[in-house]
Amino acid sequence: MSGRSPWPRVLLAAMTVLALLWVAPLFWMFATGVKPTPEIFATPPRLLPGMPTGDHVHVVLTRWPFARWLLNSVIVATATTALSVIVSIPAAYVFTRLRWWGRDALFLVFLSSMLIPLEVNVIPLYFLMNRLHLLNTYPAVFLPMIGMPIGIFLLRQFFVNIPAELDDAARVDGCGNLRILWHVILPLSRPALAALVIYMFTFAWNEFFWSMIALSSPRMFTLPIGLRALQGAYDIDYGILMAGASLAALPALVLFLFLQQSIIRGITMTAHK
Amino acid sequence: MLRHPRLVSTAEIALFLLPFAAFWILFRLGPVLYGFYISLFRWDLLGEVTFIGLGNYATLARDPRFWNALRNTLGFAALAIPLIVGIGLLLALFVFGVRHSRAGRWLEAGFFFPYLLTVSVVGLIWRWMMDPDFGVLLIVLRSLGLGAPPFLNEPRWVIPALALTTAWWLAGYRMVLFRAALEDIPDELYEAARLDGASGARIFLSIVLPLLRPAVLFALVLTTISGFIVFGQVLIMTAGGPGRASEVLALYLYRYGFEFLQMGQAAAVGVVLFVIILGLTLLSFRWLGYESHL
Amino acid sequence: MGWTGDGEQGATMTRRAFLHGAAALTAAAAVGSVRLPPALAQPRVMTLDYYTLFHSGDAAAMERIVRAFNAAHQTVRLNLLQGQWAEYYAQLFAAVGAGNAPHIGICHTSRILDVWRALTPLDESRAGNLLDAAGIRGRDYTKTVWDAGVHQGRRYLVPLDSHMWGLWYNKDIFRRAGLDPDRPPETREEFERACEAIRTRANTLAFHPAEDALPRKIRRAWEILFWGQGGSLLTPDGRRAAFNEERGLRALDYLAGMIRRGWNQPGTDGFKQFAAGQLGMLLAGNWYLPTAKDSNVNFGFHYVPRFFDRPTTWGDSHNLVIPRQRPERTSNEMLVAAIRAIKWINEHSDIWGVYGGHIPAFVPAQRAKDLLESDSWKLALSKFTDMANRGYVHYPLIHERAPQVHSAIEPYVQEAYNGRLAPRDALARAEAEVNRVLSS
Repeated sequence: MSGRSPWPRVLLAAMTVLALLWVAPLFWMFATGVKPTPEIFATPPRLLPGMPTGDHVHVVLTRWPFARWLLNSVIVATATTALSVIVSIPAAYVFTRLRWWGRDALFLVFLSSMLIPLEVNVIPLYFLMNRLHLLNTYPAVFLPMIGMPIGIFLLRQFFVNIPAELDDAARVDGCGNLRILWHVILPLSRPALAALVIYMFTFAWNEFFWSMIALSSPRMFTLPIGLRALQGAYDIDYGILMAGASLAALPALVLFLFLQQSIIRGITMTAHK
Repeated sequence: MLRHPRLVSTAEIALFLLPFAAFWILFRLGPVLYGFYISLFRWDLLGEVTFIGLGNYATLARDPRFWNALRNTLGFAALAIPLIVGIGLLLALFVFGVRHSRAGRWLEAGFFFPYLLTVSVVGLIWRWMMDPDFGVLLIVLRSLGLGAPPFLNEPRWVIPALALTTAWWLAGYRMVLFRAALEDIPDELYEAARLDGASGARIFLSIVLPLLRPAVLFALVLTTISGFIVFGQVLIMTAGGPGRASEVLALYLYRYGFEFLQMGQAAAVGVVLFVIILGLTLLSFRWLGYESHL
Repeated sequence: MGWTGDGEQGATMTRRAFLHGAAALTAAAAVGSVRLPPALAQPRVMTLDYYTLFHSGDAAAMERIVRAFNAAHQTVRLNLLQGQWAEYYAQLFAAVGAGNAPHIGICHTSRILDVWRALTPLDESRAGNLLDAAGIRGRDYTKTVWDAGVHQGRRYLVPLDSHMWGLWYNKDIFRRAGLDPDRPPETREEFERACEAIRTRANTLAFHPAEDALPRKIRRAWEILFWGQGGSLLTPDGRRAAFNEERGLRALDYLAGMIRRGWNQPGTDGFKQFAAGQLGMLLAGNWYLPTAKDSNVNFGFHYVPRFFDRPTTWGDSHNLVIPRQRPERTSNEMLVAAIRAIKWINEHSDIWGVYGGHIPAFVPAQRAKDLLESDSWKLALSKFTDMANRGYVHYPLIHERAPQVHSAIEPYVQEAYNGRLAPRDALARAEAEVNRVLSS
């Protein structure tokens, strides 16, 4: 297709302009974060920082437990992802590779809860976690994110396409279900597992409403909640806010630069067709 | 599929399902029921509870503030959904058009990246860009000779501004999914159409769009649901203002629960949201056929 | 995969499957917090949880006090947990309801009517009169603040501070406008003359009445003007709105007039404008001091001008409290330790003044040398203390439903201030909504 008509080139040029505009807010965030305050409020605004400063970054890193927030986010997202994967694999297996009474009905029940967001349950979850004396702990944040049917759903989509003959062959060799799952299904399902890991990790990394309610002390905050606290304290100071936002965006950006294609491919797999 | 039924015991199935089911019952199903139970009481967290039946729902029905929140939520959804899905589709077509070039991948990555940002970052960036005094977006628009009201302070503009922010955040995700759907369309179809002398527009309307239909409809369902629970960007960017022009349902729930300490009424809002979203889900099963989710 | 007998293999797998499932369950259970039985804890050191709603500068100042406390005590240790403003009371209630409340907490004076149920009555606790046990006496505290800490004849609050709004002004802008930077306005006439001079001669923003654009701040600015004429939000019985009258209207009209006269624009952030050197005068709280000092602005500080009949400012107080405790968790001995810690914090609240910028409610702390010699004192705190002692400070509405009443008023006042709603209509709508809130 390429080379024959001038269209792809024109399209590419137009797209490049659009993409630059699209990422301009990010540029503006990074630029504001390193501008001295007078430059931030200069009129007309300056595109590039004239005298870049680390002051705002310094404030965020020294007056706030920013590193701790990052750590908290990593812990919460890792725990959510790991536990989700662990509980989803065997469930997806029995929903695809075995046939039993009530299977489809039960799956439909799980499925219909798939789109029910965490947000509608924050009040009862708050009561529940309070009773368990878990408020302001990691488990309070990640436990409610684990029973999400999306995990089963994603894996199931993949498992059904693995030929049944493989199971049968393994069974003839005397393998039980656990072995089939471990030695036959999982090795063939790496892309689906990667997709699930990416999906759950970004989901947990970005969760906001419930984390905000469940966590109360700044040392326990995850990054999104920490940023909100930053906003509460520096409503007036966009240099500090943008420095904080830049720092919070940085891990995602770095990871994305390295894993760009695998992340996009992983996300693609979550498509529902 | 199953050739050796005797190898499957009920106990084994139960055991395989148990870990997931335990979490699902404790943290998904349980809270829904518990939330409905709480919504039947005047409940203040200190442990003093009074049963009032459907009283909290009656209060909601009479509360203009609740209806205002519902209206704002619907208004947000009505703007954000077409923006997210529409921009996502447009970008997907563009990206699909240049998929063979190396640069195309980078462009796609650029459009996609905002999706990986947390809602706080997104909210802070756009709040800053739309700051009434120093917001660069306003300054640029004004220098282009376009009228730019301070969006976040104008009751008429605040919801569109929030919808636009959300579209910037999420359209890239939709784009990637649509692009994947486009790639599933066999090349032969295009070639055949081209040989028949069909124009680009015709190919799009009569071949691409019908084949994309399921993906687009599903995207509509998903974005509608996320529109109903919009919260983070509103809290960060406007906290519901100016006045109550952007107070959405989730913010209403949050305020009644955690600022006014009326947990029963807040739980009732949660139940209302649950019913709306479950209804939409079941409707989409009927509409798309639940097999389309499989 | 070697060939083994069918039965044996099946048995192994079942056991493994079981172990697998059990492992998953254990993992799920292990994430719950593990509590040591009390006997294993060191019996010598008593740890008291102290839970606050402070953040940023305030939080750092309180941390300083607690560090000093822990350094000075061998047998009692304070475990400080500082929270978020908005959810603080919900969290306090939840903790009391669940029986794991902190031993010491903070409560705003204006919240006593809905929060007292979560608190221990200090003069009638199960451990007796705790005030006597710690030697806390009313005469050591700013009188108005102390007097407000009682509900139905029982004392729940021990005052920590007063905080309030005052007038910050930019001396350089005053000079440019031909005003005397050492004579900030005190009356309405002087104030209006200053605003006009700044607007026309210094050619910059004259005044911001409410820190920033948040609805609750605009409401406070209106309240200052309303209270200054002797108005009151609700009827004395607290059942109906009482602000939709001449004084309320005059106050809102005056507030909206600030925009009409071009002293500022709606929706702007006064903090930011002032720090950027673009704003002549700003009404803002004492917590603005650290930011003002950090900015390059040559600023001065003064009392809130007398806009109407009497000089008035918005203010509130933080108080130290003991949330309700269950006997099986908190012994009488711990209650006494908690009240002694409260007393100690009071005695060191000059630190709270120097680093937090608040006015200590404990009178001896107001006279501490460290405070009187500090920068903060000279720049602003001395005048704040004057305002507190001269009775400028008006508490916000004290009512069980205060948060909801405020929230019912705020959008309309804000819309009037923004010029989108006639003040008369704004008050009528706010009144209707407040009455609806109060009657439900």
